[in-house]
Formats: sequence, structure tokens, C-alpha cells
Amino acid sequence: MILFEKTTLRNGLRVIVHNDNTTPFVAVNVCYNVGAKHEDPERTGFAHLFEHLTFGGSKHVPDFDTPVQNAGGNNNAFTTNDITNYYITVPANNIETALWLESDRMLGPKFTKKGLEVQRKVVIEEFRQRNLNKPYGDTWHLLRDLSYKVHPYRWPTIGLIPEHIEKATMEEVKDFFFHHYAPNNAVLVISGNIKPDQAFLLAEKWFSDIPERELRNNGILSEPMQTTDREITVQRDVPIDTFYIAWHMSSRLSQDFYAADLLSDILSGGNSSRVEEKLVKGQKLFTEADVFLSGENEPGLFIATGKINEGISYESARNALIEEVKQTADSLITPYELEKVKNKVEAELLFNEIGYLEKAMQLASYEILGDAALINDQAFHYRDVTPEDIRKVASGILRSGNSNTLNYLSLKNN
Amino acid sequence: MTLKRNIPPKIWGVDRVEYIEPGRHCLNNGVELFTLNSGDLEVVKIDFSFKAGSWYGKSRLDSTMAASMLQEGTTSHKASEIANTFDFYGAQFSSVSSYDYNYISLLSLKKHLPNLLPLVSEIIREASFPEDEFEILRQKKKQRAIVDAGRVGLIAQKGFLRNLFGEGHPYAPVASPEAYDAVTIGDVKSHFNRFYRPETMTILASGFVDEEVIRLIENNFSSTWGTSVPEDLIKTLQLPVAEKMMFLEKAGANQNALAIGKIFPTQNHPDFPGIKLLCTILGGYFGSRLMKNVREEKGYTYSIQASPISFKHSGVFLVYAEVKTEKTNETVTEIFREIGKLREELITDEELIPIRNYLLGRILEDFDGPFARAQTFAALREVNMSFEYYQRLINTIKTTTPAEIRELAQKYLDPESMSTIISGTM
Repeated sequence: MILFEKTTLRNGLRVIVHNDNTTPFVAVNVCYNVGAKHEDPERTGFAHLFEHLTFGGSKHVPDFDTPVQNAGGNNNAFTTNDITNYYITVPANNIETALWLESDRMLGPKFTKKGLEVQRKVVIEEFRQRNLNKPYGDTWHLLRDLSYKVHPYRWPTIGLIPEHIEKATMEEVKDFFFHHYAPNNAVLVISGNIKPDQAFLLAEKWFSDIPERELRNNGILSEPMQTTDREITVQRDVPIDTFYIAWHMSSRLSQDFYAADLLSDILSGGNSSRVEEKLVKGQKLFTEADVFLSGENEPGLFIATGKINEGISYESARNALIEEVKQTADSLITPYELEKVKNKVEAELLFNEIGYLEKAMQLASYEILGDAALINDQAFHYRDVTPEDIRKVASGILRSGNSNTLNYLSLKNN
Repeated sequence: MTLKRNIPPKIWGVDRVEYIEPGRHCLNNGVELFTLNSGDLEVVKIDFSFKAGSWYGKSRLDSTMAASMLQEGTTSHKASEIANTFDFYGAQFSSVSSYDYNYISLLSLKKHLPNLLPLVSEIIREASFPEDEFEILRQKKKQRAIVDAGRVGLIAQKGFLRNLFGEGHPYAPVASPEAYDAVTIGDVKSHFNRFYRPETMTILASGFVDEEVIRLIENNFSSTWGTSVPEDLIKTLQLPVAEKMMFLEKAGANQNALAIGKIFPTQNHPDFPGIKLLCTILGGYFGSRLMKNVREEKGYTYSIQASPISFKHSGVFLVYAEVKTEKTNETVTEIFREIGKLREELITDEELIPIRNYLLGRILEDFDGPFARAQTFAALREVNMSFEYYQRLINTIKTTTPAEIRELAQKYLDPESMSTIISGTM
């Protein structure tokens, strides 16, 4: 159970405070309801590039890093398909430094031509390091593009191609900031060694004079129901054949999500899971195999993947994994197996309650999803899942016409 | 009242780090148990360390494979039963190998410990190394190594360590994935028998560690097993004359990886705190000189770091980055330019004060919460050091003068003493 208090400032900024006296630190975490899914399809990777740009200083702050370092703190940010999240951690008595910086970022970053030029280059190097120059680095580009035809989840946060990042202009940067980085589009979470009353006073002091702004609603298109199975094959300079199969599934807040999550755990969560026992260790078809959820806020993907063992036929290994997923879904899960995965989730949820910064990030992302209080409901949702629920949800996911298969083959082997 | 945003809020320095001495218990078999109790969530982490890292093995892979094989079967339980028990109670069990030590770690809800600790004890005493599981694991690790062999970053880092330490040295990574073919189950098992023993083991429990948890640990880990007493190996290994410059080709790379550095003092060297400060200035934090220059000014890389890495018996200095292929030479030039500046010019207070404060904040983090404190304590104990190291480090961070920093750079960062490893395409 994570206790917190919440209020909304007059400019629409939601403020959440979680007290944790076991640490000498506080976290100031600002989460904006903007991610790669809000991007123009011709300017993918923009939300993430923008995140880089906001570190170049702001209206009253010449540079962001020095004050944080001076205050004995750390700061960073990340962008996903759904959100952009910034955080600063500092020893508790330096909290005002963190609030000063984050409020000034919300008020108005200082965008310079030189900053834009350099960060475009840095992000393209990040693109190369993570996606282009790494074995299997383009997997998510291929899989997303195959699985989504309309919804903006069809590109990863780094962007579709480096050229989109190269084209970003200063006008676009300023426009993006104005319509997305508004107090009424953000959640501020303060966690750590601070009393809620004091935290709320300080949040009011630093954030309340930032004007509310008109938000841009891009009107995210929903993905039409897929009716034909899709399959693509690529050959790359990689040593081992692998594949990914992605099925469309429910959104994060649907009760179906929890059943699907437990199904993926039964299949491949831990060394005693079915896929590990039967296919990796038993039949030795794969050296590694995994079944997992993409886990985004809007309807996401249920994914099965495996690295084929030496000397095993690609086709038969892939079919065996699909068969295992289908069989597990068709049969009723035994009470013992269900209890096992529920215990695991219960423990993981409790492990996640350690660490003031992790708690701040989770509270923020649940608030963006709809309500920070969801954080304390998760265990109940998992506990409620029955074997029948899993069968029902699985039959929806595995229905014919809903699959997207990426055959990622080694040039050497094929 | 209007807010004066152009005046930064007052900053308070880190004036003290709260140190809590762990509780110490001695089990009947001579094993030391250290405890760091913080009664909040009912979660317990138990770390077992063994003097069984690659330093001790006949070959580096013996210790790696031994660690990975532990949960693959005991004399009374099959791998599947072991896996099932940990999964059923939602516990996280890991067994890993490092350069000097091997580690086992259990993270669990307190309420499940009575069901888990007997199994952990059995694994440590009676791992059985079944052949079938061994082959599966060998194949999996070999495949991973084959994939890694295509990554410029790993090629450069491994090449860097091999160049400095020489082939076959316990700190030098193995050359090729084929090395896995040569590992035998007999050697791995013998590594286990020799080095996973009460004489080499230390236990550290952190989190919700009450009397009951301590009793459970005592009940499960106090027996003796095996017969031979392992010798604490004192190896004196001759280091090779390192190549000054090496290019490791990876065709088609569209970024090159750079690893530049040398053999360096270890953590127990009196100059180490000063060296840590020096390396932080160069490339140890986001605002470092290398990040400012190579990333924020020029955009050649996503990230560049410089750090002193300390093993128990030796250390290295490493500058590492993955850079735009056509800017490789420019980056090397900039790295040596920044090193040269540290050796010639005095750092200003404007630059130094935030670094002092930043490092003091990181020290505060090393003692933030029972798990961090446990990790810090364990790391110190492994190299026979105590909290006194942190007192010296704090003092060094607060008082080292710009002239002393320059002296350290002159003494330790001589460009002539460094090796440059580049992996990728030219």
C-alpha cells in the first residue's frame, strides 16, 4: 500500500505527494502526457528529441545540470510511446532547487539553433548505437510497423528513420512545447523525506503562476480490428535465426490485461514456466524463448519470441511455440499454476514499493492513465483472475487473423 | 509576492553521511553473518558471497559456468523442482560470477523464507551438475557470446582488457564463443567443490531482518560440508607489454567503439579517492568535460565516460564511447586534448564546487536504505576496507585543491602510458 495525497493547482497541474522517511532524499518527478504516439507521422522521434532539447537551459536557468550537481542530486528523463517523464533527486533540504528547475522547464525552455543542431546529431548517434549498429536493433521498428497500420504505436520512440529527426525545425519545437508541456497536461509527484503539507506549499510556490495553456488533441486514431494474419521475413547480418509473433490485445486498464499478463507469466515467467520447461529445456528447440506484453497504455501487443537452437528447423521450432501458447490458452490453467503466478505478481508489486523515486514514477504514470490510486488496486485485479478468464481472454488474442509474424533470419544460415 | 526565478534557491551541502555498522553474528561453521535491519516492508534480501570468482578458477569460464549451474539440480532436487519452488513463492534467486567473487542472492517476502532457505542451503552444499542441463546452458551461453561478438562496444571493451591483462589472465575476457566448447563439466564441478565452502562464504542479510530471520539463517547455514580447505590463492601474474594502438575490424559498422586507458591503482591505493575525483571531472558525470565537449558541443556521440575500475588485485582506467564512424579520429584527439588540459591547467572553483557537491550526493546514495548500505558494506569488505575509506573519500572530495588535481593528472594520466582500442570500420 502506497499512501499519497493529491491536489490540483488552479492552472490544472496535478500534484501528488508521497512521504517516505526512510531516505534522506526527495524526488521531484514531472510527467507530461505526451509521447511518441502524439507525433506527426512525418516527424517521428520528435517527442524524444524534444526531451533532449529541454536540458539546454530555460528562461531563468542557464544550464540544467550544474544546479542539480551543486545540490548533490541527479537528473534524467525518458520518453515512451505514451509519456515523457523528467526527474530530479536531491538531498531533501535542496528540494527547492529541483522545483525551481522543473517549474522553469515547464515555463519555457531556452531553445537555441545550436542546441537543436547538436541534439539532432546526438539523437541520431543514439539511433545508431541502439538500433542501427546493434544485432537485432531494428526488431521493434519492423514489428511495430507490421502490427499497426493506423495507430501511432507503429513507430518506436526513437523514430521511424533518422531523416525525420534531421528535418525537425525550430518552429515545430516551439509549437510542440506550447501545446504539450502545459501544467494542465502534466503531473508533478514529490516523494521522499518531506511532509505533505510542506511539499504542497512548495509546489504551489513554484508552479502555480505557470499559465494554463490550450492543449492540442491530435486525435489519436485507433487501430482497426485486424482480420488477416500478416507475415514478413527479413535477412540480416546476425548469427542466429529468431522470430517475433505479435497479437493485438486489450488496453492497460481493461480487466483483460491482467488475465493476459498472467497467461504470459504461465508461459514464460521464470524458470519453471511452460515454455522454459518444455521447449527450452525439454525439447531444446530454443536457447531462449519469451512470451510477454508490450504493456502500453492503449491497446498493445501480446508477443512470443524465440532464439532457435543450433541444428533445429526454424519452422518446427516456431510452430511448437505457437502451439504451446494455443494449448495453454485452450486448456484450463490448474489452480496450482495460477496461484504460483499470482504469488509472483504479489511479491513483485511489493518489491516495487522499495525506492522513493520508483514510487514517484509509478504514481505519475498511473495518474496519467487515469488515477494515481490505481497503484494500490493492482494486486486485487490480479487476484480476481480465474482460469476461465484466462481462457476467454486468450481465445480473443489468439483468434485467426490477429497475428503478425516477423521472421528475422541470419544471412549466414539462409 | 512575486517569485524571483532568476535567483537560484540556496543550496545546502551534504554535511554528514549516516553510517550504521551492520550487526555481526558468527555461525557455528565459522561463517560470518552481517545484518542491516530496517523494519519497513516485510521484504528480505540475503546475499551470499564466495571467494570463487574467475581469479580463483583454472579458466575464467569455470567460475562463470559453476555459478550458472547451481540452480540446475542438487542431489535431492531436479532443476525443474528448484525453479518451481522459487517461482511459487515469488522469490528472486540469482547466482552470478564476477572477477573476484561469485554471488548468490535471494530477494523474498519474509513470510516465505522458511520454505526457501533450506533449498538455498542445499544448492550451496549439494549442487549436482547434471550433464543434460550443462549442455543446455553451454549452448545458451555460446549463442549469447556469438551475438555479442557482433557488437562493436563489446569487441572494444573485451579487446581493451585482453590487451592490458594478457590472454588467459582471470580479468581478461575470453577471446571467442568457441571457448565455451572447451569447458568440461568436471572442471566446473571441481571449481564448485573447491570454492563454494564455509571458509570462502560470507552472508549479508538486509531489509526486514528481525530475530526470526537471523534464526532461520543460523538454522540453515551453520553446518560444515566438504573436506578440503581451499587455499586463498596468491597469484602474481606478469602483465604483458600492452599494444599502444589496436584496430579491431567489424565490417559494416556505422558507429565505432573506442576504449582508451591503462592499468590503474586499485581502491585501496592512498591516491584512489583523488583519482576518483579526477576521473569524475574528465568523464564521470553528465556535465563532465568529455560529455560537454564530445556530445554537447560536437554531437559525435550519445555518451562518453571516463572511470577508474577497481578489481581486487588490479585496476584499470577506461575512457569509453561509441561514436560516429567518420568522427573517430577527431574523438580520439579530443579525448587526449581533455586529458592534456587536466595535466596542464588548473580547474576553476566554478567547475570544481558543483563536482564536489555532486560526488557527496552520490556518497549519500551509497548509504540510502538497507539494500544500498548492504551493497556498500559488501563492496568495502571484499577489498578489506572499512567505512574509513568513505571518511577519506569525503575529505578528499571536500579539500583537494586544483593544484593537487593537476598533480594527480600528471602522475596518472600520461598519454604515453595509454592504449587506444578501436572497433568498427575505418
